[in-house]
Amino acid sequence: MHSPLTRRGFLAAGSGLAAATVLPGLSACSALTGADSDPDTLVVHSQLGTTAPGSPTYLAALDRFREEHPGLKVKNLINGDDLAQVYETSRLARKEPDVVMVNLYDKTLAWTDVGATVDVKGYLDDWGLRTRVLPQALAEWTDPKGRVRAFPYFATNWPIAYNRSLLDRAGVDAIPATGDELIAAARKLRAKGIAPVTVGGNDWTGQKLLAQIIQTFLTEDEARHAYSTGDFGGRGAREGIEYFVTLRDAGVFADKAQGLTSDSMTTQFNTQTAAIQSAMSSALAKVPPKVARHTEVGGWPLADGAAHDKPTILRTYTLIGFWISPNGTKKIDAVEKFLRFMYRPDTVARFIRESGRDMALRSDAVSTDFPLVAAAQRLGSTVSQALLPDVYVPPAAAQPLITATSTSFTRGTSAAKVRAALETAYRSA
Amino acid sequence: MKLGKRWLPAHILVWTYAVLLIVPLYYFLASAFKSNEEIFAHPFALPGSLGFGNFRTAYDSADLGTAVVNSALVTVLALALTLLLALPAAFALARSTGRLASAMEKVFSLGFLIPTFAALFPTFLLAAATGLFHTRLFMVFFLPATAMPLSVVILVQFMRTIPREMEEAARMDGASTYTVLRHIYIPMCLPGIATVLLLNFLTFWNEYLYSLVIIGPDPEQRTVQVALPTLKAITGTDYGVLTAGTVLTLIPVWVVYTVLQKRMQQALINGAVKA
Repeated sequence: MHSPLTRRGFLAAGSGLAAATVLPGLSACSALTGADSDPDTLVVHSQLGTTAPGSPTYLAALDRFREEHPGLKVKNLINGDDLAQVYETSRLARKEPDVVMVNLYDKTLAWTDVGATVDVKGYLDDWGLRTRVLPQALAEWTDPKGRVRAFPYFATNWPIAYNRSLLDRAGVDAIPATGDELIAAARKLRAKGIAPVTVGGNDWTGQKLLAQIIQTFLTEDEARHAYSTGDFGGRGAREGIEYFVTLRDAGVFADKAQGLTSDSMTTQFNTQTAAIQSAMSSALAKVPPKVARHTEVGGWPLADGAAHDKPTILRTYTLIGFWISPNGTKKIDAVEKFLRFMYRPDTVARFIRESGRDMALRSDAVSTDFPLVAAAQRLGSTVSQALLPDVYVPPAAAQPLITATSTSFTRGTSAAKVRAALETAYRSA
Repeated sequence: MKLGKRWLPAHILVWTYAVLLIVPLYYFLASAFKSNEEIFAHPFALPGSLGFGNFRTAYDSADLGTAVVNSALVTVLALALTLLLALPAAFALARSTGRLASAMEKVFSLGFLIPTFAALFPTFLLAAATGLFHTRLFMVFFLPATAMPLSVVILVQFMRTIPREMEEAARMDGASTYTVLRHIYIPMCLPGIATVLLLNFLTFWNEYLYSLVIIGPDPEQRTVQVALPTLKAITGTDYGVLTAGTVLTLIPVWVVYTVLQKRMQQALINGAVKA
């Protein structure tokens, strides 16, 4: 049988395919080298831009900014969790973006110290933007040497979300306020085949919840000391770890929580396979309306003798800030225009109204379309606030702490071993 | 039928294996048409609708069109460069019998011992020093370097199967070394070239770490493997959209495997009969 394609035909087809692929690419991009640093282009590196909460509002804001500043181009580079690593390599090659939008955690804690980004205190004052920032936010973004690491932008409340519909189905009449009530609720939920508290025991969500529970018996100063030094040997810390172990071994957390991530956590809650989660505002904003209707937000239940008088939540003002890079200082006029625009009350209000984001800036806007976010904002003094350890954990200990978290959420791990795992995370750092 | 009964266990094993392969593929494709709720509530149910909403969202959000073009650009050029370098190298090694050639062949094999991750930092330094950091061009040069050991080793083995008499006959007709390579070795090594192309295509297309660090996140330059993870959100990924995006990026791989490979085999058979 005669083959439809000869060897010569095959080679010709291959060459044609190659040419068809390569030529449009070359003509569209002019070269494979891409655009080098252009003085008229402001390069912003961000986690916003695809499906992260707030992305549509952010992209719309960029469009409005471009319209208002036709001579200034803005290029938005997007990364997810790997943003810090990508930024650091760019900085090493002196090709870093001008502005970085990222939270204050892990690697970024060291950026100001090592000169990867610059102190923005002077700019904040010169541009008259200090008064726009909430005082707590400014305090959290200021390092021990008095430098302001970045322009504060997103904040978050981090309450506990309870699906009332699932609790009712399991026969739990009230939101648990104590550890004993939580254990009883977990048993009833499990009897109905519902996972009680879902948590990413293998990532930062588990680390935060573990820290929150350990702080049940810690004052703010004691918590700061424990998370700065890795010394969990104090009485309060030990009692907090024992409280966590009691809850865990009583089945409060979803099965195999030590292997879950933030992704699986939010999915379990949003699909109503789990009744309770510790959720930051951006996660609350993504709870589907039919689940949100039956969801209440509150604090984490306390144990007898707790250092807090009300159930606890976390709050932070360090979720996303605008960091200025050394390259950004060379285009400081463009950076100023961009930050003035992003700090404008109308821009800030749109993030609150359209995306349900909590802001580190002053604003009268309310997240009316995001009832759980608004409910979390209203919690105010009805809950007690635990310390978010992010700013106090040494950068090198951040990742080892995640490993220790996974160990901690593994059933059967004793309180002594949990403490040892936490302390080892600091020693190995 | 007696033969059928005897072969029954083999049939069962083969069909079980086929099902094991098909089930994840079905789950993957079906999920691309579902919402998160459908995926988790009824993972193996048929999609409620066959709308392309998830595909549109994935394509637009992650700018997958540009990313696919970038990946194709880098992959095709890197493949071409790989062949350009590997064919003459393999040709020389296959025809040489001396100790030096044997040592050189071993040097190529030593390339297998270098872990990919270990080369990241030196490669980054090289990219920065050459001014090719944040460019696709560096990857076009770099990827063939990583593929040379495997490509040369495979091609050398294929070329050694070609009888010396073929070359001697051509030499008597006045063929130059280049002519021998072009008109004897390359046509007769097409199975090896096809193997090298396919293996390297997959490696180059799926490369993530170096593309992330070296090319970077610029939507105008990033490859599809760097663009795709931006569809993940730390506070709740839409798995329908993520799966749809993954399906889109797999289409070129599917095309190469089902269309190009088939045509390659046809060409090979054709070439072999003529030879």
